[in-house]
Amino acid sequence: MTTTAIPPEARNAPAAAPKRRPQREREGAAWVFLSPWVLGAIVLTLLPMAVSLYLSFTDYDLFSPPKWVGLRNYVQMFTEDPRYWRSVVTTLMYVLVAVPLQLALALVVALALKGMKRGKGFYRSAFYAPSLLGASMSIALVWRAVFNDGGTVDNLLGTGGWVNKPGWALLAVALLTAWQFGAPMVIFLAGLQQIPAELYEAAAVDGAGKWRQFLSVTVPMLSPVLFFNLVLQTIQAFQVFTPAFAVSAGKGGPADSTLVYTMYLYDRGFVASHMGYASAMAWVLLLVIGIVTAVLFRTSRSWVFYASEGDR
Amino acid sequence: MPGNRTKGFCASAVALALCAVLAGCGGSGESAGGGKVVLRYTWWGNPDRAERTERAVALFEQQHPDVDVTTSFSGYDAYKQKLATQAAGGDAPDVMQLDYRQIDQYASGGVLLDLARQKSVLRTSEIDPGLLATGRVDDVQYAIPQGRGTETVAYDVRTWKKSGVPLPGKSWTWSQWADTMRALAKKTGKPGATDPGQSEDAFEVWLRGQGKALYTKDGGLGFTAADLTRWWTFTDELRREGAVSPAEQTTQLDGSVENTPLGRGTSVTDANWDAPASGFVALIPTGIALAPVPSGEDGTPGQYFKPSMFLGVSARTGHPKEAAQLVDFMINDREAAKILGASRGIPVNETIRAEIGPQLKDFDKTIAGFQASLEGKLKDPPQAPPSGDNALQSTFQRDYDQVSYARMSPREAAENYVTEAKAELRS
Repeated sequence: MTTTAIPPEARNAPAAAPKRRPQREREGAAWVFLSPWVLGAIVLTLLPMAVSLYLSFTDYDLFSPPKWVGLRNYVQMFTEDPRYWRSVVTTLMYVLVAVPLQLALALVVALALKGMKRGKGFYRSAFYAPSLLGASMSIALVWRAVFNDGGTVDNLLGTGGWVNKPGWALLAVALLTAWQFGAPMVIFLAGLQQIPAELYEAAAVDGAGKWRQFLSVTVPMLSPVLFFNLVLQTIQAFQVFTPAFAVSAGKGGPADSTLVYTMYLYDRGFVASHMGYASAMAWVLLLVIGIVTAVLFRTSRSWVFYASEGDR
Repeated sequence: MPGNRTKGFCASAVALALCAVLAGCGGSGESAGGGKVVLRYTWWGNPDRAERTERAVALFEQQHPDVDVTTSFSGYDAYKQKLATQAAGGDAPDVMQLDYRQIDQYASGGVLLDLARQKSVLRTSEIDPGLLATGRVDDVQYAIPQGRGTETVAYDVRTWKKSGVPLPGKSWTWSQWADTMRALAKKTGKPGATDPGQSEDAFEVWLRGQGKALYTKDGGLGFTAADLTRWWTFTDELRREGAVSPAEQTTQLDGSVENTPLGRGTSVTDANWDAPASGFVALIPTGIALAPVPSGEDGTPGQYFKPSMFLGVSARTGHPKEAAQLVDFMINDREAAKILGASRGIPVNETIRAEIGPQLKDFDKTIAGFQASLEGKLKDPPQAPPSGDNALQSTFQRDYDQVSYARMSPREAAENYVTEAKAELRS
């Protein structure tokens, strides 16, 4: 029906007259098609960011109009707020424990799965599952119950509830993150499968044992993937919120021991209604993550090995 | 000019997209009511309260065929945050349930309507003047109290009787209370009470028993670090003796009765507001009874009748009259009161309270009896707490955590708190 309705000359038109439209017009069309995304980026990302940057220089309690206070929020943060520094130290401790733990687990499991002949799919899904579920509040709540006093861990080890002991609560939070090692594991697995088998064969011929092969073949060949996971997980770890929130029932306790940076930011913004202060904290976090990532990239030059470089 | 056409194109594309967005918004507007007045009414609470509220609202709609009420509810914490965001965006619901601690912030932020202007449809003559005044800020009536509650010591009757320690009478002082808790701990092998050191509410009762208050009239701090040091020293010693709950249990308190030591069966008593104390009934089926909160050493009562929650109207509502009618209905209508029962505390309308009182059942009846036993003995409630108090409530609990985990002395923690409180109240 529709085909017959189109005049034959029109059907042939593009082929017959491949007249190129002027550059400008094509650009215009591109803008039309791009407009939803451009608008989205402006309205949903850039504008809120600009507002947040503005608010970070104000005193804003959500109700009265924001009052311009210049750098006061930043000054207060760095010089007058001991809880701010406590949250910084807590976050650093968390990053230093959770990230290596998670990456080590992911790598070990990936290595084990790589050599597996049967049931690989099952185990891969089983180990990945916590990462899918882990983002949800419910799993974090289960975790809290497990580590609470009278919970599973208490019954098995008789250690009392970890989440109620200031010295242990942060570890419980870090374990919850480490347990969700599915995403880096899958990436490691992909990376491991890219390493040519000949390298291992050659190493074996040279008399290298399993451990030596791991150190001399696997680690350097895997270093770009390792680097990728390290950067990604570090950035994520700096922004940890859900597990700390759930394990401490939203309070960062006991005795501020799980008060990570974003928890304190949340506390200032939504509990104490100091949105200006919270915005300032968010911008400092952005800056710090940027710096840490840059430092990681700088150090990567000395330990990340790209196969293509080796060819040169 | 090569750029010109692109710019023009771009501008028209943006305009087009904006039109689409705006049209989309316009389509889902309020016009769906079919000429009816649409009121939004929100509250916090549990499913039981929701069911009763829905029935009352349906009755209101029957009586006012030209008004359509859309309702929504959630848990307190979520409600508090959502309402704050809505209010900040100038989109507060027409009628909203408010807590004592929200009144000042919302009133001074210009969110609430002056209800005196709706006098013709909103009657307040049958509410106790002292109680009604709690909804006033700077002499403007911004909210109407909806129910009346007071603090109480809820206790596990069977465990207490078995211990052989004499049951609490109609009054006791803080030192008598402490001795009783020690005796209970000794006889039962578990702490007598939840450590009251973490509770700003308990501290307030203790302060009032000495003729002081949490806040001064102008919203400043009404006590000194020395006062707070004495309170925390008192509770710290009780905790060390095992007379009240240990830190690991105290830190788990989150406002729900399930997570109190009494609710978990690891203590004999718990201080709470009377309406939520009804939650203990399901947890301790062998029996829950209520005793008054201890008074000062000279017998000065510290506890007070507190408005359990308020109703306020948005300053931006398009239908102030209808919104005020709904508030009036929820508070003064006889039929509505029958449906609502004590789900928001004992009704504030004196006539309705007298009428409904004998009809109350189960724990509602216990609460009514407890309140009747205190009638005429308590002092007037304090005025609504200043806006900073919202945050200070959790600061109080956190600073006491440092004491109960022996990371700070009561004095250090108290000085910490006072410094932070002063900063919070100034801003």
